[in-house]
Amino acid sequence: MGKIFKTKLTTATIVLIPACIGINYLGKLFASLLKLPLWLDSIGTCIGACLGGPVIGAICGAANNLIYGLTTGDNITLIYAITSLGIGLVVGILARMGFMKTFPKSFVCALGGGLAAVCISTPLNILFWGGTTGNVWGDALFAATQASGMSVGLGSFLDEIVVDVPDKIITIIIVYLIVKGLPKKLTALYDVNAETERLD
Amino acid sequence: MAMITIENLKYKYPGTDRLALDGISLSIEKGEFIGIIGQNGAGKSTLCQAMIGLVPQFYHGAYGGAVRVKERLAEQVPVQELCEDVGLIFQNPFNQLSGARDTVYGEVAYGLQNLGIEREEMKSRIERVLKQLDIWQYRDRNPFDLSGGQMQRVAIASILVMQPEVMILDEPTSQLDPEGTEEVFRVVDQLSRTGKTIIMVEQKLEKMAKYCDRLILMQDGKVVDFDTPEKIFARDDLNEMGIQPPAFVRISKQCGLSNQDGTYPVTLESTIALFEQQSDKENLTQKLKPEVKQTVQTQRTKELFQMEDISFSYQKHIPVLEHLNLSLDQRTTAIIGQNGAGKTTLVRLLKGLLKPVSGTVYFGGEDISKKTVAMLAGKVGYVFQNPDDQIFKYNVLDEVMFGPLNIGMTQEEAKEKVRKALEMMGLSGKEKENPYDLEMYERKMVAIASVVAMDTDVVILDEPTIAQDYPGKKRIGDMIASLAEKGKLVIAILHDMDFVAESFERVIVMAHGAILADGTSKEVFAQDTILKEARLQKPYMTQLMERFAGK
Amino acid sequence: MKSISLYVEKGSWLNKLHPYTKLLYILTAIMIPLTGGKLWLFPVMIVSSLVLLLSGRIIKRALPLVGFSFTLIIVIFLIQGLFNHNNETVLFSIGWITFYKEGTLFATRIGCNILNMLLAFGVFVLTTSPQDLVDELEKSGFSPKFGYVINSVFQILPQMMATKDTITDAQRSRGMETEGNLLVRMKAFLPLISPVVMSSLINTRERAIALDVRGFGRKQKKTWLYDRPKCKWDPVARVILIGLMIITIVWRVL
Repeated sequence: MGKIFKTKLTTATIVLIPACIGINYLGKLFASLLKLPLWLDSIGTCIGACLGGPVIGAICGAANNLIYGLTTGDNITLIYAITSLGIGLVVGILARMGFMKTFPKSFVCALGGGLAAVCISTPLNILFWGGTTGNVWGDALFAATQASGMSVGLGSFLDEIVVDVPDKIITIIIVYLIVKGLPKKLTALYDVNAETERLD
Repeated sequence: MAMITIENLKYKYPGTDRLALDGISLSIEKGEFIGIIGQNGAGKSTLCQAMIGLVPQFYHGAYGGAVRVKERLAEQVPVQELCEDVGLIFQNPFNQLSGARDTVYGEVAYGLQNLGIEREEMKSRIERVLKQLDIWQYRDRNPFDLSGGQMQRVAIASILVMQPEVMILDEPTSQLDPEGTEEVFRVVDQLSRTGKTIIMVEQKLEKMAKYCDRLILMQDGKVVDFDTPEKIFARDDLNEMGIQPPAFVRISKQCGLSNQDGTYPVTLESTIALFEQQSDKENLTQKLKPEVKQTVQTQRTKELFQMEDISFSYQKHIPVLEHLNLSLDQRTTAIIGQNGAGKTTLVRLLKGLLKPVSGTVYFGGEDISKKTVAMLAGKVGYVFQNPDDQIFKYNVLDEVMFGPLNIGMTQEEAKEKVRKALEMMGLSGKEKENPYDLEMYERKMVAIASVVAMDTDVVILDEPTIAQDYPGKKRIGDMIASLAEKGKLVIAILHDMDFVAESFERVIVMAHGAILADGTSKEVFAQDTILKEARLQKPYMTQLMERFAGK
Repeated sequence: MKSISLYVEKGSWLNKLHPYTKLLYILTAIMIPLTGGKLWLFPVMIVSSLVLLLSGRIIKRALPLVGFSFTLIIVIFLIQGLFNHNNETVLFSIGWITFYKEGTLFATRIGCNILNMLLAFGVFVLTTSPQDLVDELEKSGFSPKFGYVINSVFQILPQMMATKDTITDAQRSRGMETEGNLLVRMKAFLPLISPVVMSSLINTRERAIALDVRGFGRKQKKTWLYDRPKCKWDPVARVILIGLMIITIVWRVL
């Protein structure tokens, strides 16, 4: 268990965090530039989680929302810092357990990330605004479930699944493709088990 | 007392097989100005980082031997403490800004805050250093808004203010324009006179010869020689090691002149002095022929681009180009000028990446404002300055195939063009490699190959020679000549005046958004006032020739 | 360089207040209506935030911040007003669409809560410079490593965003289309995001080196260039805020 959470707070891993937040922002910008029907705003968090481990992934997620709140005045997003933290944590844990090594295994990671997002966001949605998510499609579904008498909890849960799970699946696929091709020179920097060998 | 001693230093980066540093032993005295030269990949940067402890503390890997800075062991003393004695400045000015401060003053203070220096002491040190580097007037500006040369001076200031006795500079001028380069060398020279020990890696050998006391010559991780510039540049095997000696040495050798001890003069002044001593001056000036690449004289007058009355500005009221007229045929064309002169804007207009505010750009007689960038991609290729802005595939082959496949070539066609392009850029055999495993200078070659493989009629190159060593530049020069032979138009933005003089038939000088001069390199570099206005230096050969002609 | 922070320096009394005081205000503003339970507490706090914003001369900038939440609030009204499980009493009908009192009341509560939070947060965000906040946090003992993370994002992010255009241009120059059907657009995503990731990882490595050689992470007490000038309103404000919170708790309990 300890091995999964081992984290080295070196300068390199600290500087990774603003870079991952930047990647989150740019993912979102490109998604909107290309008019894609996805958020794609947690690519950086997941990369941070894969490279630096669950603790770094969690920090990237939380810091991301914090900065987003400070730059847009949107403190609704601050509440969802917990969700981002959760995504970073879960993806980091699964990555350390080896679920990002092959393409099929990365689906497990994708589902894990998606579920983490859904399970954390749903109670927040219910607590703060009665179950809606702010997304057109999800809320339309939610409205339908409520009209037919489904419980708030279940309705909100379904709303979240529609909004978050496809997005997270595509996100993790993208992260898998990117991380797979990173050169050893870069990933070695974040290796928590790296030691200096002696040559003489 | 030796400032730095190195004993049998060996180092291997993690995940690699070959030794980046292979048994280095040397010592550097206090106050010396040492230069490190060698091909790309020789181990120069690694050696610099070993002197400050980053190797092995930052990278890990495998390490042997010992490096001592003022008796402190670089392997063990944390870098955060060793930085009191040794400072490091490297190529990219942007990445050296901490990003945690939004004024130059605050940025320079950052290191001092970490060192726990008292406030009054901090303030007096910062003021002294900012004035010394002539950036006091920028103290309230955001460092990210400055020019490359100014930013690099901020980086130097941020290190200098911590008062290390040794300053290591790893290719600090490689990404700067000529003015920026001058600024940095001036500063470094000044520092050396104040008694600091300076260690500098650079490819600009003429400048190194002028300033350095001794040079370390590196090859394959080993120190091949460690001696004065005169002795080093007198060696016969420099070309094999991928080093082209300074222009002055080449000229002297060509004329058969040498100093009494068998070495050659390495600076402008000493070369002039030697020539003055010769009795047979007339004969000598005959022997001096400017080294211009002989391109095959094909018909070069087919007009490709026509710019009519072009005006452009990024923001209203700040015009970048005004009423510019230019026509380009097939002659290889170099565009030179300071940063901000409008060179990049001009070529982007040619490529269709920008649309002029007024005026028209014609390519092959057609107005290009109707076409999208992707449509023009098949005819006009553009190699961006930073290869990392375009590389995204995980092996070289796929990366170079991307462009050709996008513009509609078949797999077989593309493969063939790619093969030829890779060969031209010296990348044959590296098809399966991950571009990010390669060094920056090799990635630049990949970026160039990606565009060359698209077999466009026009190839635009934005600063192709940055970070290249002599063999790299030669390869690029050969590529330009080969493309020109095929009738293609090559346009390049460059800061390397000697390369311009050797490889380009036409030179256009720009300043303040206007074209100041346009002609052969011989014609252009003779126009003193214009070069001064554009703040450019002449190629070293030209400088020498002019001194002889008695200007 | 365009700043991404919302901070505006107006020299107003809000700017001079200590960041912690403003954070305390957010806590108070959110907590009072929620603990107090009465619906009219929400408008009270909303008005107080608006008054503060007005006195800080930044009310114009606050409006866009809340603007985006209106769609969310409208959606909530629709869903709760129509479909809330506790709906019994009819409020009004338009054709066969019926709005109920319970749901609408519930939606009002939520809407007010959202507005309240956004405005209170706006008071903080518009008047506090991130660097100031981080400096104060570090002086209180917050790790400088994390302080660095927050500070640097404000500089590094605009730089990264500026590369977006260069990368898009470079890939389009190689014939990649960014417009067309969904498949074309999806294929363009990876060539755009990969260079961003790669260059930011490379830059990260260099920046980490630059920080190390400037003593980052040294186990030493940091020194400061400036001290925050003491604001006379701070102690007064804090007392009032804490007092109000205590009163609310007591009132609710009784």
